[in-house]
Amino acid sequence: MSKYKMAAVTENCTGCLRCQLACSDVFTKRFNPSAAFLRVELRGPDCSIIFTEDCNECGVCADHCFYGALQKIPKEAVQ
Amino acid sequence: MSWGGFAGKILYVDLTKKEVRTEPLSMDLAEKFIGGFGLTVKLAYDRITPGVEPLAPANPAVIGAGPLVGTNLPSSSRVYAVAKLPSNGTVSWCGAGGVTFGYLFKNAGYDLLVIEGRADRPVYLQIFDDQVEIKDAGSLWGLSVEETSETLWREIGRPLGVVAIGPAGENLSSMSMAFVDRIATMGRGGFGAVLGSKNLKAIAVRGTKGIEVADRKAYRQLSGQLFKSIREYPYLEEWQRLGLLKSFSQFPVEIYEKIKQRRVACVSCPVGCKDVVQIKDGEFAGLTAYSSSAVNLFTPMMYGFKDYRQAIKLVHDLDGYGLDMFEFFGVMKFAGALGGKGVIPRSEIEPEIVIDSLDSMTAWAKKTAYREGLGRILADGFKGLLAEFGPEAQDAAPSLVKGLHPYVGPDSAVAWNLFGTQELGQVMDPRGPHVGAGGSPTYFARRPLEVFPKHLTRMGVPQEALARILPGLDQGQAPRDLKIGRLLKYSHAWFATLGSMGICARAQINRFYNAELAAALYQAVTGIPTDLPGLRRKVDRVWTLYKMANLREGFDRKIDHLPDQWFQAGGFKNYVTDQPLSRDEAEAMINDYYDEWGWDPETGVPSDRQLKNLDLTDL
Repeated sequence: MSKYKMAAVTENCTGCLRCQLACSDVFTKRFNPSAAFLRVELRGPDCSIIFTEDCNECGVCADHCFYGALQKIPKEAVQ
Repeated sequence: MSWGGFAGKILYVDLTKKEVRTEPLSMDLAEKFIGGFGLTVKLAYDRITPGVEPLAPANPAVIGAGPLVGTNLPSSSRVYAVAKLPSNGTVSWCGAGGVTFGYLFKNAGYDLLVIEGRADRPVYLQIFDDQVEIKDAGSLWGLSVEETSETLWREIGRPLGVVAIGPAGENLSSMSMAFVDRIATMGRGGFGAVLGSKNLKAIAVRGTKGIEVADRKAYRQLSGQLFKSIREYPYLEEWQRLGLLKSFSQFPVEIYEKIKQRRVACVSCPVGCKDVVQIKDGEFAGLTAYSSSAVNLFTPMMYGFKDYRQAIKLVHDLDGYGLDMFEFFGVMKFAGALGGKGVIPRSEIEPEIVIDSLDSMTAWAKKTAYREGLGRILADGFKGLLAEFGPEAQDAAPSLVKGLHPYVGPDSAVAWNLFGTQELGQVMDPRGPHVGAGGSPTYFARRPLEVFPKHLTRMGVPQEALARILPGLDQGQAPRDLKIGRLLKYSHAWFATLGSMGICARAQINRFYNAELAAALYQAVTGIPTDLPGLRRKVDRVWTLYKMANLREGFDRKIDHLPDQWFQAGGFKNYVTDQPLSRDEAEAMINDYYDEWGWDPETGVPSDRQLKNLDLTDL
């Protein structure tokens, strides 16, 4: 079970997809954003970040984010 | 260890025959020309018939993305196109931040795209992995770059990488560009017109295959160090907040902070230099504008615009038409001067050409994009005006290099008067003035020469060349001079290194890379055994082939023209001495450049022996 709860701060996101690249690399051994367990989408000034049902909140996406758009919050802190 | 990085295929599209086919990427070819920029040059060289007209169906548009594109290496999204361009007929590179197009193209399974022929009606190319279709673009033709991109995103859905042209490209303007994902520009000099001449409105791509790296252990170690160095960079947060504005103090940061909507990054980039802004008040309140940097949106203020909102509105419109802003302003100033002298009949100039007026420039942008009235000539840029109005126009022409207006120079947009590699590079890049290829520490004013060896070594300059670039070093002394021409060889080589791998050449990101690291990353990603001397040789091969592609068109040293304005009052200064630069000094730099490459200084032509050494004997 994951130690983290994932949180998205969409206003910080630049759409660099480093999160999707990292996620897919961990789980598929390929850099393939379409296989990642989260989806980032920029539409002009708007942004959405959605975690799929398969996301196990490992936090690797947040580790690779340079913009503070993803945060992994320890679950004990949430509780 | 298996081959990684490369997607493995070349996609060929013949729009005349409506044929699409793929070929496996030859690994021999990939190994020899690195990838990205290098392979794009190679395919263009092979497929361009010397003397072909830039807007003829037979002029290929070759687009490529390097082997690092699609990985998570910092700023490895770069996309290059090569084609003969209509502004000056040179075989030109056209680089762009790949935004999402680069990785999606690679993920679709392709490293290179070759587009030839001419469709019999407006079309766009849709690439979904192995499914490639030439689709009707009748409803897109005439739309702005923004409308085209938005329409494709709305109708096809995301993720979708889009390269699109606007009306200026459709109407074959030599000032037209293509735009990547609406926000990055590709091809100063008329790449938009090359696509327009093929009746190709857009390329839309989605890929789901992923990219593998060959040596994951080495990759993790090298990339981990790289990420750490970026995270620890003290100015990272400032770069992320301001982008290129950090380097342009003449623009108002407080206004930028007020209108900023979102900073946008190309895929994998930790800096994110692109901008979405929205005007908050006044006549254009609510207007959202996109740009590869807010600096571009403010640039009309360099030409006298007082109101930033009007500057943004104009750039928004120019981008919509797909027009190159720098060339547009240069051409309009020239046309205005010709009107003032009566060379252009007064009846042709309606409305009056007023460089710092939004109404005037907006009207002329539209006339140029649609070739209305005098716009039929303006659309062909300086070449058009000089051809139409002859010697009288020549006398009033601004500084021109290879038919284009330099972006740095005494009468250019960027206020900068030191003559470094970027400035000489405007002449020595076979395509003429364009941003990016001439980078070096001379980007910064009056750097002490003592710091140059460190930076030059990072760029891959061999130790044995340092003393030629920095006389005095060989005697164990502090450098006493800087040979700009010799250094420029290595600026071009470093640019070709980054471009061939797929890394962004912008200074704020390439500073984290060095040539040794580039060789190691290339080996880790591709699995091709690579050391720095070997990589240097390949890079020399790539740039030499690029030069040969232009020599083959007749562009030898005779077109390495230095404008008179550069040596007049208010002209360039020597980077080291800060004294006015003389033509003799600059000509000596050109000699040095060719000598450093080992090319004939009289002609700029590589020797047969050199070509043999680079395994380019089949040229």
